[in-house]
Amino acid sequence: MSPHPDGVTLSEFADDALPATAAADVRQHVTSCAECQALVQSLRDVRRAAARLPQLQPRPEVWTRVERAIRAEAAPRRATFRWSWLAAAAALLLAVLAGYTLADLRRQPAAAPSVAATSDDPAAAAQFVEAELRQAEDHYQKAFTKLQQSVNDGKGSLDPQTAATLEQNLAVVDQAISESRAALRAQPTSAPAQASLLESFKSKIALLEDTVALINEMRNGPSLKPKGT
Amino acid sequence: MNRTDDVSPDLVERCQAGDVDAFEELYARHSGRIFSLAARMAGSPETGEDLLQEIFLQAYRKIGGFKGDAAVGTWLYRLALNHCLDFVRSRQAKMDKATGTIDDDRSAALPSRHESPVEKIDLERAVQQLPPGCREAFVLHDIEGYEHREIAKMLGIAEGTSKSQVFKARMKLRALLT
Repeated sequence: MSPHPDGVTLSEFADDALPATAAADVRQHVTSCAECQALVQSLRDVRRAAARLPQLQPRPEVWTRVERAIRAEAAPRRATFRWSWLAAAAALLLAVLAGYTLADLRRQPAAAPSVAATSDDPAAAAQFVEAELRQAEDHYQKAFTKLQQSVNDGKGSLDPQTAATLEQNLAVVDQAISESRAALRAQPTSAPAQASLLESFKSKIALLEDTVALINEMRNGPSLKPKGT
Repeated sequence: MNRTDDVSPDLVERCQAGDVDAFEELYARHSGRIFSLAARMAGSPETGEDLLQEIFLQAYRKIGGFKGDAAVGTWLYRLALNHCLDFVRSRQAKMDKATGTIDDDRSAALPSRHESPVEKIDLERAVQQLPPGCREAFVLHDIEGYEHREIAKMLGIAEGTSKSQVFKARMKLRALLT
């Protein structure tokens, strides 16, 4: 009797997957070897039983989980879209402001004309501008504090990705405010520097207001078509 | 691999429009087949349910791009299979575990009498107990009906390895079932 074929060969033989010549050799051995015959039979039994395994059914609550996930998916998707738009708008605004400010700061001399700088006394004019801006900043700072509080209270309503985007965008605006302040310190009477700082304040206000609106929208729930309608 | 798929184009269109009722109908028609694949590939019904949820959530995200080139059931099955394969690869990478403890010593697993014990016991549970590696090859070959060359490509292994894993799984099942 020929030596026992290896297990994989017998497994392939059981599947009728061997090339004809190899299959004939194995068949010849198996016919005269009770041990291999039993093994081939049991390999076939396993395969046959596996092919007959019934289809499994998930528990009914899995659909509930799927449905909940779908509805949760829909809300952040809209929020992300909205936030992307806001981020793009903010980025565009900042880019325009930054370009405008830098270009004008380079082009204009330190004594570039502004409403305040038309005064005969440049020192007095600078003081006047500084006082006006400080007043404006106080005004904006109060608004920032109030809006930031609303955002902090409602941040839990935002999904982590949106909250992270919010933080990033606020950081961008804060950076723009810092840069505008620095530019204004260097050229206190520069009209573009003044405008840049004020526009940065407005950008921050707009971002915070939109965030509060977004939080309110999230709290009101998704607007997917209701089930059964 | 061809299975009947009687989902109407209208149902697909409703799914693409975000109709949750339509998506529930799609789920009802295909969840059994996909859950069977996921639970067996994962070796756990609980993980299978998690995978099923992820697969249908992914299907919800992607069905807008379904062009109807194949039946939606085929598209779903392919999505599910890829998801299960990703899961298997990720688990294998994490575990770095030996794929089996069975050697090729056939005599240890030979039944003492000629019988067909697989009919008597819970094969489903025995499949769950297979070691990762040979379980996936066994599920894809003996249950799902794929060829070794296809399995080798899917699992990123040699064709000979797929054959060896299926043989090991069958031997292990015989041992578990006796």
